[in-house]
Amino acid sequence: MIEWIARGLRTGIVTTRYPKRSERASAGFRGRINVLQAEHGRAQLAEVCPTGAIRVADDGRVSLDRGRCILCGLCVAADPDRFAFAAEYETATRRRASLIAGEPETTTLEELRTTLGQRSRTLRRSIHIRHVDAGSDGGEEWEIQALSNPYYDMQRLGFFFTLSPRHADILLVTGAVTEPMRAPLLRTWETMPEPKAVVAAGTDACTGGLASLTDATAGGVDAVLPVDVYIPGSPPSPIALLHGLLLATGVLVYAAAA
Amino acid sequence: MNAVYTAAMLVLAVAVLLPRIDARVALIVNAVGAALLAVVGFATAAHWTTASINLGTWLGFGNSTLRSDGLAGIFLALVGTTGAAVSIALLERRPRPLATTLHALILLAVATVIGIDQAFVFLLAWETITVSLYLLAACDRERPGTLLAAYFGGSLSKIGGACLLAAFALLYGETGSFAFHAWATAGNLGATRSVAFVLLLIGFGSKIGLIPTQAGLPPLYSAAPAATAATVAIAFNAGFYGLWRLCFDTLGPGPTWWGEVVLVLGAISALVGILYAVAIDEIPRILGFSSVEQGGIILLGFGVALLGQSVHRPTLAAAGLLAATLQLIMHGIAKPLAFLAAARVGAATGTGELRPLGGLAPQMPRTAIAFGLAVLSLAAMPPFGGFVSEWFTFEALLQSFRLDSTIARLIMALAAAVLALTAGIGLLAFAKLYGGIFLGRARTLLTGVREPRANLGVAGLTGLALVLGAIAPWEIRWLGRGLHESLGFDPAGSTISFPLVLGPVYKHFSVLSPTWLAIGIPTFMLAAALLVRLLLRPPVRRAPVWLSGTAPDIALVQYTPDSYANPIRVVLSSLYRFRRTLEPIPGSEPQQQLLETEITPAFEAYLYRPLAHAGLRLSDLTRRLQSGRLGTYLLYILVVLIAALALIPALNH
Amino acid sequence: MRAERLQAVRDPGELLGPQLAAVVEDSPQDERRLRVQLGRLDRAVEALLSRGGRLAALFPVTVPDPSLLAAVAFQGELVVLRAPLEGAHEYPALSRATAAALLPERELHDRYGLVPTGHPDLEPIASPDPDSLTRRVVGEQSFVIPYGPIRSGVFESIQYVIETGGEDVLALQVRPFFKHRRLEQRFGGLGFDHAVQVAERVAAIAGVAHATAFCQAVERALAVEPTRRAQRWRVVHAELERIANHLDVAVKLAEDAALSVGVARFAILKEQIQRLRARLCGSRFGRGVVAPGGLAAAPLLEPETVLEALDQFERQLRRDRRLLLGTASFTDRLIGSGTLDRATIDDYAGVGPVARACGVAVDARFERPYGAYVRVGGRIATVDDGDAMGRLRVRFLEIGESLHIIRQAFERLDKYGPELRADLPAGSGAAFGWAEAPMGELLYWVEVEEGRIGTVRISSPSLRDWPLFAASFRGDVLTDFSFIEHSFGLTPAGADR
Repeated sequence: MIEWIARGLRTGIVTTRYPKRSERASAGFRGRINVLQAEHGRAQLAEVCPTGAIRVADDGRVSLDRGRCILCGLCVAADPDRFAFAAEYETATRRRASLIAGEPETTTLEELRTTLGQRSRTLRRSIHIRHVDAGSDGGEEWEIQALSNPYYDMQRLGFFFTLSPRHADILLVTGAVTEPMRAPLLRTWETMPEPKAVVAAGTDACTGGLASLTDATAGGVDAVLPVDVYIPGSPPSPIALLHGLLLATGVLVYAAAA
Repeated sequence: MNAVYTAAMLVLAVAVLLPRIDARVALIVNAVGAALLAVVGFATAAHWTTASINLGTWLGFGNSTLRSDGLAGIFLALVGTTGAAVSIALLERRPRPLATTLHALILLAVATVIGIDQAFVFLLAWETITVSLYLLAACDRERPGTLLAAYFGGSLSKIGGACLLAAFALLYGETGSFAFHAWATAGNLGATRSVAFVLLLIGFGSKIGLIPTQAGLPPLYSAAPAATAATVAIAFNAGFYGLWRLCFDTLGPGPTWWGEVVLVLGAISALVGILYAVAIDEIPRILGFSSVEQGGIILLGFGVALLGQSVHRPTLAAAGLLAATLQLIMHGIAKPLAFLAAARVGAATGTGELRPLGGLAPQMPRTAIAFGLAVLSLAAMPPFGGFVSEWFTFEALLQSFRLDSTIARLIMALAAAVLALTAGIGLLAFAKLYGGIFLGRARTLLTGVREPRANLGVAGLTGLALVLGAIAPWEIRWLGRGLHESLGFDPAGSTISFPLVLGPVYKHFSVLSPTWLAIGIPTFMLAAALLVRLLLRPPVRRAPVWLSGTAPDIALVQYTPDSYANPIRVVLSSLYRFRRTLEPIPGSEPQQQLLETEITPAFEAYLYRPLAHAGLRLSDLTRRLQSGRLGTYLLYILVVLIAALALIPALNH
Repeated sequence: MRAERLQAVRDPGELLGPQLAAVVEDSPQDERRLRVQLGRLDRAVEALLSRGGRLAALFPVTVPDPSLLAAVAFQGELVVLRAPLEGAHEYPALSRATAAALLPERELHDRYGLVPTGHPDLEPIASPDPDSLTRRVVGEQSFVIPYGPIRSGVFESIQYVIETGGEDVLALQVRPFFKHRRLEQRFGGLGFDHAVQVAERVAAIAGVAHATAFCQAVERALAVEPTRRAQRWRVVHAELERIANHLDVAVKLAEDAALSVGVARFAILKEQIQRLRARLCGSRFGRGVVAPGGLAAAPLLEPETVLEALDQFERQLRRDRRLLLGTASFTDRLIGSGTLDRATIDDYAGVGPVARACGVAVDARFERPYGAYVRVGGRIATVDDGDAMGRLRVRFLEIGESLHIIRQAFERLDKYGPELRADLPAGSGAAFGWAEAPMGELLYWVEVEEGRIGTVRISSPSLRDWPLFAASFRGDVLTDFSFIEHSFGLTPAGADR
């Protein structure tokens, strides 16, 4: 046991200071895709995207639905002047519409940090999360599990995983909701007491992702449950998940005080 | 009170003859008689009056009197109250003449055993109990296994009776009288005293399920027609009366090994009893083994009493005897109640086994409450009676430091450890029993389960079981008066301190207040509920049980009673000789397997069967003597005659 | 069926030809395609298995005509037996010859309506109903624990129906396909670049292996070899993925044993690998690296940087591994849990670390070397324990092997041109592609029609190893369950597709 402790002491503190201090991603990290130039798009541009996230309007205006974007980079490779990767972590939003690149963000984390301080602190220190895999590809689960590792350590922010939905405040859903998982997912949600929030983690959960064009899935969690926070990404990195969970906490604090 | 006493005994005697005419009337008469008996017992135990019936010398071997003094009064009160309640409870189903006769006979015989002051009549009444129990167990001849159970239980009781006869004969030989009083005041009995003690212990032990005769008790319970098992439970108390009266009162004080032996046997009985209760499946047998366990616990207190008596520390003796008597009274109320409730369940569902049942509480709420209170008492849950009596027993055992002998101290300490183990396993056993019958969902489809109408007898016992813990201070005051003569002083004074607070006879050693608990726990629960309701007013929404997101048939996925108690069976598999087989079922598609388990009680395998084998071989040998030829028998007569003619003059010199 | 090592038969076509009328068809390298009659498919498979073959895949294909395809790994080759269906729906079940076909045939029956006559248990498996539980153990003394699909922890969804008498596991049924996303159909009609995105997302934690197997199938179908530069980096990413998976198994096992320090240390190591992969290609899961013909993008780091990071990683790993395997409270839970023997592995044609922990040396990298594995050497890590401890030890040995392979890839494979991708003609063809995923041997069958993907079939190692999980409970109790499950390290996403 002493050796374990000695090794831990020698490694030092590796935990990120997020959200107190923003965390920078490594160069080239595929956090999200920004639309550098939205005008004068050709119609063929939409065919580059395998999930149909790129829409070119009749007037040539190009929009990118981050809820559908799987960060494959084909559009960046096809048109580097128009699309570029941004090495950013914070991608979550409260509204489905906010996922469209080009729409203004309604709630930023800065705003949330101040409003949280003004609201009651009853729920801030202990949020319990129940995770449900409704048909993901397995990557989101690794990233959610990574939240418990010493680098991210979500417990310092008051987040805990719980096994019983009766103790849960947040329902964290990954995957596009396959048919056999629909009833268990609904049961989980019904077994959770108010106030509760639903967080859709990953592009599959937001809009169905790559599997959405087969009818094996419901096409995203919001086809089955009311979603409070969308965290796009394929899969979303742990910091992106933390960002989304903190947004959900804002939701919870608002709901409880109502 | 003499008139009331006479009336009670006469009424009980009449009730024996009535069933031929009308069994229901007989039961009501029986109840009246038992109630009168209870009144007598209460009054005499509290020393408000005395009661006795002089039977004269017509029964033989000297004068015999039915006298209700302090000690007898306690037992009469117990037997009377529970006898009345059981008699009324037997009215629920159509009473059968034979069973009712035997029920009345058992009550009469037990009442006689408790009141009589002479050994010969005692033995007569005792054997009456034995025979009646045997007949009662053999009543339902058509049910498989009852005859064997009756034989087994009956023969073990007979062995006990034989030991009693031997003990009485020995004491008669020494003192020349059958009267208990004569034995108590006899001067130098010497070794006879100890031999008599051992024989009496075996004799009474066979009735209370003491090791190694404990196997006789559960079969009697399971063979007796359902509700009359409660009667058998009442007869159980007679054994303890015998121990209290003869071993403690009459023969005591004896050497310290008396108490030590009783402690060891009691501890083993308690442990073996509960270990088997937790592992088997038939409800009457579970309750039977629970009686064995309770008998063991009662004997733990009794052992401390004997020890205290032998080293002339009356306070220690009082601590032990008080604890044992409290436990006895609790068991005397809770066990018949449990049997009555179990009989109701058996009648409603048609099965006496635990495995097929489940989820009966909504359909049989009164029975569930009755059984629940009985089980809570037996499992020693606060604030009920069993908790109080087991606390007293523990405290009595903890007084080991007051003794000088190291062996006595060690045995008391080990007994306390075994008691703790027993209490823990007991909780498991009763949780399994109660949960397996009443909670969860039914494991097999049971149709037509209806609860019989409310019954005064069952309700009365339920009420008693509910308040027995709370009324402990008054109960102890009454018991103190009753045990005054046996102990030499009234222990209630040093037991009860500051209003309604109890200590284990040694003042200030430790404290317990079941009355305050019984007031406080419900009060706090009510206050908390009101607080939540009025102040917080949370909206309640019900959601189904969480089962990993599935909603299967609950009956499939709940714990079965066997699996609940499985860890014990596995851990102690050598004691149980636990065997489990998984056989593929031929022709099933997809392939299915059948699970079967088997338990062989170690006692049966290692003690009874070898003894039975030896006995059979011995009888085989002696059978050779029975050649069946007239000439041989005449030869035997000749030989014996010549031997007698030769011996008797030799002995006379 | 016991696999016997007999003298090498030169030609499987000869072995099957006379009795079973097998016709040899055009085969790319490492494949040997034979056409057999549908009614004789089971005997053909049985003949190969009796000589040491291993059933690797069983599914219906459409090129050149609708047929049932059975691929058997036999003497370093993939013997592909194609049985034209010709409108038939019934065929003699292969399950009578090998237990490895039990689960695939049930899936075939449910999805494609192909009826295997003589199959012992055709209970529906493809669309599971979480609420209906069938019992395998009859008797009032046992009860059922439906564990899943939503499980106790952040895990993927799969249902286990556990029948227990209290503590011990009497029978276990594994019910996959709760996460079936019909991804095999999703491939249809896509171009190569889009299709490889689907392949990466069949099982994210083995995404590089899936993409490699898929791209390899496309390249072999079109007879194109990926560029040398691409082959080198494909190996590097595949081995990094393997290391991350094996560390994940160590983390999960330590978590089951409630050894928090072990969890923390190995989670740190795994996070280091994931961050290294992110620095290397922008994605923590190696996405956007492998593309048909080569690589999709150039690596973002120099080999020296990667080697330095791996050296540091290896030093920490050595110490942490020594501490972990020296903790008796941890190893005691693993030793003797979930023991499998060689006979069962052979019966079920197990693959991956599960098989290697029983002494069965199967590894697609070295049986049928693909890509740069042809030029890079390595050993198949096996142990003989067969229990959960053995599976963990095999994984630690493999991490060492992976590091060794990466170093070789950097040191020896440094002569190549700058091209990232070879051009792929808009042709047609159909071929197998394979890769050694962290869970075991993965096979892709891809049919290409004029530059578009047609039918795709996937033989997932997780699906092939799930029956072994059900068979590994011999006298184990419920508390050992998660240890055994995590020691298998399988992914339901890959099995369910």
